[in-house]
Amino acid sequence: MSKIIEKEIVIKNKLGIHARPAALLVQLANKFKSEICVCKDSEVVNAKSIIGIMTLAANYGSRLKIKAEGPDAEDAIKALVQLCNDKFGEK
Amino acid sequence: MKKRGILVSEFFEHLKEKLSLRLIAGKHGLSNRITVAELNRPGLALAGYTDYYASQRIQVLGKAEISYLNNLSSEECSRRLRSVFSNKVPCIIIARRIKPPVELIKVANEKAIPVLRTHYMTMKLINKATIFLEDRFAPAITINADHVEVFGVGILILGKSGAGKSETALGLVSNGHRLIADDIVKLKLTEAGFVVGEGSSMTRHFMELRGLGIINVQTLFGVGSVKERKKVELIISLEQWDPNKEYERVGIESEYKSLLGIKIPHLTIPVRPGRDIISLVEVAALNYRLKKLGINPALELNNRLLEVMKNKAFGGSSV
Repeated sequence: MSKIIEKEIVIKNKLGIHARPAALLVQLANKFKSEICVCKDSEVVNAKSIIGIMTLAANYGSRLKIKAEGPDAEDAIKALVQLCNDKFGEK
Repeated sequence: MKKRGILVSEFFEHLKEKLSLRLIAGKHGLSNRITVAELNRPGLALAGYTDYYASQRIQVLGKAEISYLNNLSSEECSRRLRSVFSNKVPCIIIARRIKPPVELIKVANEKAIPVLRTHYMTMKLINKATIFLEDRFAPAITINADHVEVFGVGILILGKSGAGKSETALGLVSNGHRLIADDIVKLKLTEAGFVVGEGSSMTRHFMELRGLGIINVQTLFGVGSVKERKKVELIISLEQWDPNKEYERVGIESEYKSLLGIKIPHLTIPVRPGRDIISLVEVAALNYRLKKLGINPALELNNRLLEVMKNKAFGGSSV
């Protein structure tokens, strides 16, 4: 059984997760075999789906939880947290 | 765990315009929680009979209740209101824009119970508020799927990321069927006991296709190609063809999948290059409709087979 890894992140880029950051996040998530989901409040969406990520409308300062389950869950979480902390290459 | 129910403030905000509600007292109680979808008219309780009085419900005061209160002496009125409007009452709604007795305003402020007023008649108000509350209280889940209407049948398409759910839905739309939601489907259990699916208001009728990006199905294919919500009548799971797995070959017995506690017919369609999934989904929809009419082709063929074999056993001529 692979365990579930969970990590909370805060959106730090001013514009929030709009199309470009969403695409980056989804592309990165798709590199991993694990099942990855992103939760905001009571909403849970698949991290590998851009429509899903955009549904969250995660603005600046919102808190998200990333959960991953699978063989490379740990690497996936590490990479996704890094991407958010780098503000998706934005301001 | 999310707390059950909704806040009075949320109820007020959502129905403010629809019911032209105004807050006239007890604003400190806007954070009270409404935990049940029913409303109550506290006539009997105000008259003194409090057995089975549903204090946790929203209390509705109409012409009868208010005129009864107006007929009481001021002390008696306050006493009755205090005993009936305990801290459990989430809020009070007054119908027909009737002016309530001052005692009611006083007690409501004292106990922090918001008092809302509308110009609607009592029954109209109860109907509208119940519809809103029942929708809010319906058990719901959000899942990763595509929801389409094919020949009038609501089909939920499940499958892993990359299984071809969106492509199948797109193919169905270009064949003249309708899209309800791509990728994210909110499922709700209705009072009537069936599951209804709809898209998220944020991304409704948008779709992502690998290689193309995001498209808007409604503007591309026209308003007739989309629908807001639809009952889930059939579930189809797409999965990679697995040579070691046994797939349904006959179809006499139906397989079901449970959604929000409701059993829904379920088919698994294995995907491999050269299989036209769109046609298979269309045929599945038509076959579902036939079965609903009481026609089961697998059963029909089997009955024919049994008949022929019976005749042979009795020495009849072969067909």
